[in-house]
Amino acid sequence: MSDSKRSTGRDRAAPFSNPGWAGNTGDFKLTEEEVRGDEYVGVRRRDGGHPSVAPTLPYILDEKSPDAPIFEGEYGERLEKILSRYPDSRAALIPALNLAQEVRGHLSSETMREVAERLELSDAYVRGVATFYTMYNKAPVGRFLIQVCTNISCNLCGGDEVLAAFLEHAGVEMGETTEDGLFTITEVECLAACGFPTAVQINSRYYENVSADDVPALLDRLREEAG
Amino acid sequence: MAYPYRHEKETPMLSRGFGDPRTRTLEGWKELGGYTALEKALKSSREEVIEEVKASGLRGRGGAGFPTGVKWSFMPKEKKGPHYLCCNADESEPGTFKDRELLRWTPHQVIEGCLIAAYAIQAEHVYIYCRGEFFEATQVLARAVEEAYEAGLIGKNILGTGADIELTVVAGAGAYICGEETALMNSLEGRRGLPRVKPPFPAAVGAFGRPTTINNVETLAAVPHIINRGGAWYRGFGTEKSPGTKLFCVSGHVRRPGNYELPLGFPMMELINDVCGGLRPGRTLKAVIPGGSSVPIMSAEDCETCTLDYEGVVECGSMLGCASVIVMDDTTNIVKQVRRMVDFYAHESCGQCTPCREGTQWLSRILVRIENGKGTEEDLDTLLELGDQMTGTTICVLSDSAAAPVASSIEKFRDDYLALIRRGERVGAA
Ligand SMILES: Cc1cc2nc3c(=O)[nH]c(=O)nc-3n(C[C@H](O)[C@H](O)[C@H](O)COP(=O)(O)O)c2cc1C
Ligand code: SF4
Ligand code: FES
Repeated sequence: MSDSKRSTGRDRAAPFSNPGWAGNTGDFKLTEEEVRGDEYVGVRRRDGGHPSVAPTLPYILDEKSPDAPIFEGEYGERLEKILSRYPDSRAALIPALNLAQEVRGHLSSETMREVAERLELSDAYVRGVATFYTMYNKAPVGRFLIQVCTNISCNLCGGDEVLAAFLEHAGVEMGETTEDGLFTITEVECLAACGFPTAVQINSRYYENVSADDVPALLDRLREEAG
Repeated sequence: MAYPYRHEKETPMLSRGFGDPRTRTLEGWKELGGYTALEKALKSSREEVIEEVKASGLRGRGGAGFPTGVKWSFMPKEKKGPHYLCCNADESEPGTFKDRELLRWTPHQVIEGCLIAAYAIQAEHVYIYCRGEFFEATQVLARAVEEAYEAGLIGKNILGTGADIELTVVAGAGAYICGEETALMNSLEGRRGLPRVKPPFPAAVGAFGRPTTINNVETLAAVPHIINRGGAWYRGFGTEKSPGTKLFCVSGHVRRPGNYELPLGFPMMELINDVCGGLRPGRTLKAVIPGGSSVPIMSAEDCETCTLDYEGVVECGSMLGCASVIVMDDTTNIVKQVRRMVDFYAHESCGQCTPCREGTQWLSRILVRIENGKGTEEDLDTLLELGDQMTGTTICVLSDSAAAPVASSIEKFRDDYLALIRRGERVGAA
């Protein structure tokens, strides 16, 4: 097949318009839902579904509720399922923190204390674990957490420019949140999508083959989603 | 056109289902012969399963290339309590993007491999530890696990054979170091992801203090094919010492980056120029990192005769690692990219060992100085000395990995460093 036929159908100034497919299905016949598996996965249940998969994190919720209860109702069921999968309750800590962040959007000292209490661990221990992992937000973030990969493979293809474009078009400094509360923009280490540079993670979703030129449209799309 | 782009030289075995949403479903997977290997394995003795995998010569795809059958045979034969299997789906080595594809296109292939391995090592519980960022892939896998449970393929009395194996999918929370096997076990146990001092090795004392085997996603995905068609058949691909097919993750300055499944021993230049469509017009090859950011960088000259198998890449001065081929053309600013990799290791060091915690920071600071045209020639000696002190002196090899690109780039691209130091001239922009 000739190279020209393999273009993404979008006019790109970037030197690499490679045939992307997630976030940019290009001229592939698959729909975005098919590529992402949305149709197959269906709507994930907040009680975690089958206990074997309850320790995974179904969502980053769009609406975060910093004061909502974390281990009650469906979420309480999920925690019970999680606990049933390990020989001891300490092992439930990371899934429990994931769950807490899913509900509340970030892990405050108070949230960490509640998790510690529920799992009968010390407050300091939970804090020590939580601060080790980069995906835990220690402070509130915007409705969309935009994480741009600038590691080597993306960097070779313009990752730094993509990050700069996000900061410029959203009008914030790295790590800060826009005044309307919509966007928090950070740099991230390799997202394991290096063949589709630049890779950008926005909440739970990957956008691939993002060039600096794509950024304004992408931000508009997110603003629209937020309504 | 369907994803992915396929080159005629590819030998799709593990990647057969990529781009086909049907292979995610139990039904679709069974149409392709799915779960027949599990049935066959459960009807054989566990020794027979291990022997078949040994005969195939399959080597671990997580980076080190250790023979899988041999690793399984380290597990105690007398079972005195629980055994565990961990599937390492924490893929975070810069340049590597194969496990995510395996998980989200062929989740049942991974599950089947896990179940066969668990049977062979007498593990009653499999934990698939997925990288936290993999929300989509993890959900596809989770759905597949639910389907397999419903169909009686996981759980009690699998397929009526009396085998009991549980399987749980867990998600990490962002930390490269959790890909290191003992750090992964700590993380699984609800601790910080700190690598453990070895010995004891995981086969003796692993997850929850019990004998544990840990394998990469791609390693386990190859197992059903080996059980179905036999170790001798698998050896029909690849080389004598590096049998089988491998997913090559090609990224950087090629026209068609992506995952390509090829027999091990495939010539590097043929991969770059033919399979990946070559470089951009008018560009020349400058450097290649053949195995992810942790391995030494190669010059274009080193690549000319290089074959992509474990031994072939070592002969040319680097390592195959996870076969993550990062291609750099003549627009590349080597000093900047090396600094970027070192920053990654500085960020991801778990901090237990002084040479790693301090060394990565120092490397970064000196490289930034050189990058900004303020370095001296002595800085290069300091970098090499630091790298020496960081190699072979720590609990895990993250420290060695940080030093490798620095030392190899100074050796092979000294002129780029000197241009910056002596004349403040940057070579390459990318
Ligand atoms: C710092 C570090 C990071 C690692 N990251 C990964 C990883 O993300 N995925 C993986 O499979 N192996 C990774 N490994 C290798 C594992 O420790 C282990 O060797 C591998 O999972 C064993 O599986 P295999 O025998 O199937 O290759 C890493 C090792 C180190 C030292
Ligand atoms: S070498 Fe680095 S990452 Fe590995 S255990 Fe030591 S400090 Fe941690
Ligand atoms: S380097 Fe950007 S996703 Fe790997």
